[in-house]
Amino acid sequence: MQETPGTTHALLTLTIENLSKTYPNGVRALDDVSLTIPAGMFGLLGPNGAGKSTLMRTIATLQEPDSGRIRLGDLDVLRQKHEVRRTLGYLPQEFGVYPRVSALEMLSHVAVLKGLVNPGQRRETVDAILHTTNLWDVRKHKLGTYSGGMRQRFGIAQALLGDPRLIIVDEPTAGLDPAERLRFNNMLSEIGENVVVILSTHIVEDVSDLCRRMAIISRGRVLLTGDPQHAIDELRGRVWKKVIERGHLAGYERDCTVISTRLVAGRTAIHVVADSRPDGSFEEVPPDLEDVYFSALKGSDRRAA
Amino acid sequence: MLLRILAFELRYQLRQPLFWISLFLFFLLTFGAISTDVIVVGGAIGSVNRNAPFVILQMLAVMTGIGTFLTTAFVANSIHRDFESRTDAVFFSLPLKKRDYLLGRFSGSLLLANLVFLGVIMGIVIGSMMPWLEPARVGPFLLGPYVQAMLIFVVPNLFLTGAIFFSCAALTRSLLWTYVSVVVFFVGWGIAGAFLNDLENKSVAAMADPFGLSAFELVTRYWTVSERNAGGLPFTGALLWNRILWVGLAALILAFTCARFKLTTAEGGRARRRRRVEETVEAAAPEARAAARAPVSVAFGPAAWFRQYLHQARLETIGAITGTPFLVMLVFGVINIVANSTEIDDLYGTAVYPVTHLILQVIQGAFGLFVFLILIFYSGDMVWRDRTLRLSEVVDALPAPGWVLWGAKGTALAAMVVALHAAAMATGIGIQMYRGYTNFEVGLYLKGLFLVSCPQFLFIAALCLFVQVAVNQKFLGWLISLLVYVMGQVLPAMRLEHHLYRFATAPEAPYSDMNGFGHFVEPRVWFFLYWGFVCAVLVVLAHLLWVRGTGTGLALRLRIARRRLSPAARAILLASLAGVAATGGWIYYNTNVLNDYLPAKTRMDRQAEFEKLYKANEKLRGPRVINVAADVDIHPETRSVEIRGRYLLVNKTTEPIQAVHVTINPLVTINKLEVEGGRLDMEDARLGYRIFALVSPLAPGAQTRLSFDLAVTNRGFVNNGANTKLVANGTFFDSYDYFPHLGYSRANELDDPNERRRRGLPPVQRFPKIDDAAARMDNYISSEADWVHFETTVSTSPDQIAIAPGYLQKEWEAGGRRYFHYAMDSPIFDFFAYLSARYAVTKDVWNDVAIEVYHHPGHPWNVNRMIEGVKASLDYFTRNFGPYQHRQVRIVEFPRYARFAQSFPNTIPFSESIGFIARLDDEPEAIDYVFYVTAHEVAHQWWAHQVMGGNVQGATLLSETMSQYSALMVMEKAYGRDKMRKFLKYEMDNYLRGRGGERIEEMPLYLVENQPYIHYRKGSVVMYALRDYVGEEPLNRSLAEYVSAVKFQQPPYTFTLEFLDYIRSAVPEDRLSVVDDMFRNITLYENRASAATWSRRDDGKYVVTLSVSSAKFRADGSGAEMPAPLDDWVDVGVFGDKEPGAPPEGRLLYLEKRRIQRNEDTFEVVVDQKPFKAGIDPFNKLIDRNPENNLIAVSAGAS
Repeated sequence: MQETPGTTHALLTLTIENLSKTYPNGVRALDDVSLTIPAGMFGLLGPNGAGKSTLMRTIATLQEPDSGRIRLGDLDVLRQKHEVRRTLGYLPQEFGVYPRVSALEMLSHVAVLKGLVNPGQRRETVDAILHTTNLWDVRKHKLGTYSGGMRQRFGIAQALLGDPRLIIVDEPTAGLDPAERLRFNNMLSEIGENVVVILSTHIVEDVSDLCRRMAIISRGRVLLTGDPQHAIDELRGRVWKKVIERGHLAGYERDCTVISTRLVAGRTAIHVVADSRPDGSFEEVPPDLEDVYFSALKGSDRRAA
Repeated sequence: MLLRILAFELRYQLRQPLFWISLFLFFLLTFGAISTDVIVVGGAIGSVNRNAPFVILQMLAVMTGIGTFLTTAFVANSIHRDFESRTDAVFFSLPLKKRDYLLGRFSGSLLLANLVFLGVIMGIVIGSMMPWLEPARVGPFLLGPYVQAMLIFVVPNLFLTGAIFFSCAALTRSLLWTYVSVVVFFVGWGIAGAFLNDLENKSVAAMADPFGLSAFELVTRYWTVSERNAGGLPFTGALLWNRILWVGLAALILAFTCARFKLTTAEGGRARRRRRVEETVEAAAPEARAAARAPVSVAFGPAAWFRQYLHQARLETIGAITGTPFLVMLVFGVINIVANSTEIDDLYGTAVYPVTHLILQVIQGAFGLFVFLILIFYSGDMVWRDRTLRLSEVVDALPAPGWVLWGAKGTALAAMVVALHAAAMATGIGIQMYRGYTNFEVGLYLKGLFLVSCPQFLFIAALCLFVQVAVNQKFLGWLISLLVYVMGQVLPAMRLEHHLYRFATAPEAPYSDMNGFGHFVEPRVWFFLYWGFVCAVLVVLAHLLWVRGTGTGLALRLRIARRRLSPAARAILLASLAGVAATGGWIYYNTNVLNDYLPAKTRMDRQAEFEKLYKANEKLRGPRVINVAADVDIHPETRSVEIRGRYLLVNKTTEPIQAVHVTINPLVTINKLEVEGGRLDMEDARLGYRIFALVSPLAPGAQTRLSFDLAVTNRGFVNNGANTKLVANGTFFDSYDYFPHLGYSRANELDDPNERRRRGLPPVQRFPKIDDAAARMDNYISSEADWVHFETTVSTSPDQIAIAPGYLQKEWEAGGRRYFHYAMDSPIFDFFAYLSARYAVTKDVWNDVAIEVYHHPGHPWNVNRMIEGVKASLDYFTRNFGPYQHRQVRIVEFPRYARFAQSFPNTIPFSESIGFIARLDDEPEAIDYVFYVTAHEVAHQWWAHQVMGGNVQGATLLSETMSQYSALMVMEKAYGRDKMRKFLKYEMDNYLRGRGGERIEEMPLYLVENQPYIHYRKGSVVMYALRDYVGEEPLNRSLAEYVSAVKFQQPPYTFTLEFLDYIRSAVPEDRLSVVDDMFRNITLYENRASAATWSRRDDGKYVVTLSVSSAKFRADGSGAEMPAPLDDWVDVGVFGDKEPGAPPEGRLLYLEKRRIQRNEDTFEVVVDQKPFKAGIDPFNKLIDRNPENNLIAVSAGAS
């Protein structure tokens, strides 16, 4: 079959139901995860080892869960892998390249495998993506000679090839300098208007900048899901800040729900969640997504404890 | 610190399963080799003790070759591991000294590799304790040989290979390059071995072999059985220097690596130097950005998949074939072919024409294992490359079907196979061109390479791919692929010979210029079809099991496999399985239903059964054949023959005969088999034995007839051992093959002592004792007849000539067939042959004897040499031994399925591989073995067809040794003494080596029991030396008297005691001891020139003072030596400067036999010219295991 260009896609929704996965070494990577991900940017936040990559790989058809279902529109992701792959753009967290092949050759190759078998069209698409990812000038260099940032851009380029409708990017901005990160985020948000983009990151700022929906997961469980702004609003008026001596931290941790500590000019500032001002030395601060993130993790720690 | 790193390394590797697996495998391999004959490591154990010191030394030494795998896996890995797992940055940032890091890793892993050899030692120790071994074949436990083998071979060899591969891994930081270095190392080893593999280069070869195996071989090559059981290895000379050289080299390599290695990370030394690409910051043009996101036309479905496959396959293939590792291996493969082609098929150091099928043989020999290794390595590399490069997640998530991904890899492997074969073909043609041979036979190359050998490699590629996918563990995959391949080679030893279960094997398809690939093609095609279907099944299974994504659990993969079993996959799988069943069934029908499937061991069981059942009949004196008449119809096109014939039998005994026993090859279909006046009393069709009871006993002197109508048909094809006697062009069979025989036939007895013991047979008696007068009532060729009248009519296809002994009486055509009627005018031995082929005939005459050479039209080169050989032989033999009994000599070529020439009355079948393609015309230095073989066979017309020994020990001295002597004399007349010395060096070497391979007992020459190394090799040396002591004329006079006394005699037949009386009569009284030394005993000398000086006399002559040491030994049948008293006449010689035309030792200044009675002696010799070399027995006429030290340079002494 040949899909005609320009067909308008119905807006897709990715539905994840009760997904669980336990590795042979006993690590519970996914624990009854259910998410509904509509078209648009979706941020996946969580600490290292939370299960983000497992979840992403599972959605990207590369891993089998123990139980649960994933649907992309009408497709059963776990069964109709081939059909899913046809609409998939995937940038794994860690990936390598053939060191002695140029970006141009490699992208053409990926393009063929994505089904762009028409040479003329393939060339146009590849050229365009090289421009987009700012690799045009170095397209003929061997991938083995690329710097970390260039390699990352190459990874993005291959993921975006072939007009994917489900884009999964795992820690895409790691290793990019601030300017590149900004450009990449812009690119993603443009694409993210019509397709499902799942962005996994631990940079909270990226999510708050880009995503209309997000989920926070930790230890394989979804702690929170929804609109980031909404989650921030939920916390409004409940986050308090105080600058303390480092030695006193343990006492505060015992008495209040300390969600974060950070160093400010050599002194320690703590954020505390409480329905009312714990005492006069705390000042109210407007919450940000980071506070949401840490309070969610804290809450989960409490429950786990 | 170094010790800590060492200890860490040791602990780390001891935890790896690879160590334990290797230990177990090494144990298993040697255990099997010691306790069974199924596995052979470095040569069969033969008749020495299973745990003889020689076996221990050889096994441990040879295992170090396989141990290269260990040094790669452990030692190279110890450093490469850090680069692969990217822990280099961590380690290199520690406060480590470079030397400590490198040497710690190296020595720790090296120690581990050495530990694996504990498995070998345990294998030998435990293996030799197994209860099924014959106690007499197990010697006491000796610690010494193990210690010696470890110190001389294992530790140095592992150190050497470890140092090389460790250095490669450390300096290139690439596993693939390390493997390349392994292959290069091995091939280089093979090449050096091939270039240096002749008698002249022994000591160079011994130095050049990094494993010390050649040096070991040089030291032990003449060890007898008793020395192999006893011997400690003298660690001196070539072996010592070899070890010093290579260990020193290894140390240098290691030092170089320590110096060059840098504790830096980065992508390896080369990448670091490469220019990093400059970053450019450029805002992407908005339109480009839009284009990138524009919806594109994406194609899916079979057509698109196919294009994806082509694209991917092209990429994989180009990547693999243009990769430096492949090219390096290709180049070395080519060099290996060139190296191996230097010695194609040579005999006595004489080359042959590089005809295409021989080049093919070289390619298959030099390339086979090599292609296999490349396939093994690359299959693992390709299956794992995306994962190793961490690209697999990207690729696996792409919407290309799985088969596109692995299909492309399979295609690349196949392309490598084809590319290798194409390169081999180009190399072959290059070799032929270089040697000035221009009949390239491209069609034969294509057939031989791409139809006969290529498919097997493609099957192996499919297997490797499947195993890598199924096992999903690279090293284990390699190991299993290797095991499957090795099993195919090892199974036959366990009676499992059928190619249906030996992966990718098929019956051999030998090529003959005369017969092409002939009937060998058909079974090969069927087996290839069969294996093709098997591989299709494997490929579908690989498809189902192909790992895509990260889940590798077995249950999970099976679940996925079930899901992948689409209708198309199912259909292909079922079709392939049906193909396997159909072709397998057809093969089975042919090999096991139409034909008897008999593994070699089962065939031996039958031989044993035959012997057990019927041996008792051996002593029965039956009637004897006096007349043979046969009509033989050869059908080359169907490879069948019909034989209708009649034997006239007579009772030559003094008793009436009650029964006639008939033995007949069970393959033969019997239409009629009748004894006149007899009735079939017992019939064993399976083993081919029948007894006819005579209704009225056959009175002494009375006659009867045996008439028969037999057929041999080859139906379908067989698994192994296809009939090579009845072929489309080049039929050759003799009367032993298909004719009936009277009485029990000893020719079928098992002769291997171990095989006999296993089947409960008594030790073989190769020949009756020399004093067994009853046995001498038979000659040693036939127990059913003495001399017979022979007449035959043979027919064949109209385009062929059929030949049998006798003179052609009439030739005609009838019914589309060509008939020849041959009759012999004088009685001959009861042994005759039939040949049929499309021949060219070259004719000549010598006096009144017609000479005819029937040869393949494409083999004209040496026909004239054969004719000259016949003439020179007839000339010498008629003058020296007596008249020739026939009026004709015919030499008849037959295909190279067998490699010999054989003398029948007036007819000499001569294999195409021993002379017809020898390259002598432009090689004046070469030994003309065509001439020699011709002379030897013509000599048999005297020494076998006139003088025939009785069936007792020593009989083959009278035929084979005397034919050797006769041929040597003819050859000496034509080519001179220097050439003879070169020839005799080979004979001496073959004799001394042959002793170590003796399976029962070495006999003195006069009692030789059909032992080729004695009756040919020692026979040549002894008779040539005897001629030297006696003189040619007196010796030949005695021989002529002997011939005229015994020729054409009736029983009892002559024997060697009678022969020795004639020899004695020719030997001067004071030298009679040589007869005892040479014929009656196994005598060995150790002659050595210890010092030589010269001084100049006033008259200008030179006085040479030569000190020699001599010793003489007598050996028993196992080779154990006892000193013997010296009183011998031995050559003492002095040589001058080298000059053209002089012997290689230099111009001969003095040569005389001097009496040697003391172990140390000094001689003074006066010569006219300045002496350069002097020595004792300089021309190696006596049997001496160290012939190299007989000569010494003469130095100027005090005047």
